[in-house]
Amino acid sequence: MNTPANTLAASSTAALKEVSNQARVYAARMRLQSAVDQADALDAIRDIAGNLIGSEELAVFKVDKRRSELWLYWSFGVDPNKYAVLEVSREARLNDVLSGKCVFRLRGSNENLLCCDDPVSALIPIRIDGSTVAVIVLFRLFAHKSGLEEVDHEICEILSNFAGRAIEPHQSK
Amino acid sequence: MPKKVLLVDDSSTTLMMEEMILKQRTPYDCVTAKDGLDAISRALVEAPDLVLMDVVMPRLNGFEACKRMRLEKSLQHTPIILITSRGEEEYVEAGFQSGCNDYITKPVDGYELVTLLHSYLGE
Repeated sequence: MNTPANTLAASSTAALKEVSNQARVYAARMRLQSAVDQADALDAIRDIAGNLIGSEELAVFKVDKRRSELWLYWSFGVDPNKYAVLEVSREARLNDVLSGKCVFRLRGSNENLLCCDDPVSALIPIRIDGSTVAVIVLFRLFAHKSGLEEVDHEICEILSNFAGRAIEPHQSK
Repeated sequence: MPKKVLLVDDSSTTLMMEEMILKQRTPYDCVTAKDGLDAISRALVEAPDLVLMDVVMPRLNGFEACKRMRLEKSLQHTPIILITSRGEEEYVEAGFQSGCNDYITKPVDGYELVTLLHSYLGE
């Protein structure tokens, strides 16, 4: 029944969720912007993926000059030997990412975003001056997390816009 | 006097997020610690009404810190909530064996966190 008390409780719940989402997005942005050097910026990516999104399996690939291959640059929680190189010609979704768009696995979908055994949850371009210089691959989410939510997409956009320092150490904050 | 919550995490990002949520949506005061050893000394000095603590931390993890807190007379009855990235049964069981009262999983959901804290500390 839609009583005034129920309506108040629902609006309070919605307000709390909004504050929670804002706090996650703000914390992600502050962490990246306060990174003191390249190593700290990479640690910020790991920190945000693990504590704010819910994945402890990730890798960063650098885009080569001809934009035909992506080379593994750094990884956490995945076997680096399995992912030395990603060939753009073999990975259909990489073209979207190289054009600057985040690509997400849809909730409940069986489609994998890369041709590999491990489930890929998101492909996030790292952009510097409007150009994609690297790609963050988020693999498996925590077992209790069924998929990425709207706030996770926002955090991925923050990573896309502010993680450049992890690739280019002299990138301004 | 407002109730006091001790937030323990080696991630400054997580501490910032938790503090923002609690400051905006609860009347509780927050104090922080960055690992298990730091948490024990802070808890003994600050006498928090509740401890919210990560499990995986350098120097001393959350399970061990929880066990050691329970050996301190002043902290024996302080509610301790552990934050874990794993919801598996055996992991949760290990948490309860260490003496925690409850647990929540990462990434921390503000609604779940505030609701749980209200259940221990009141609104």
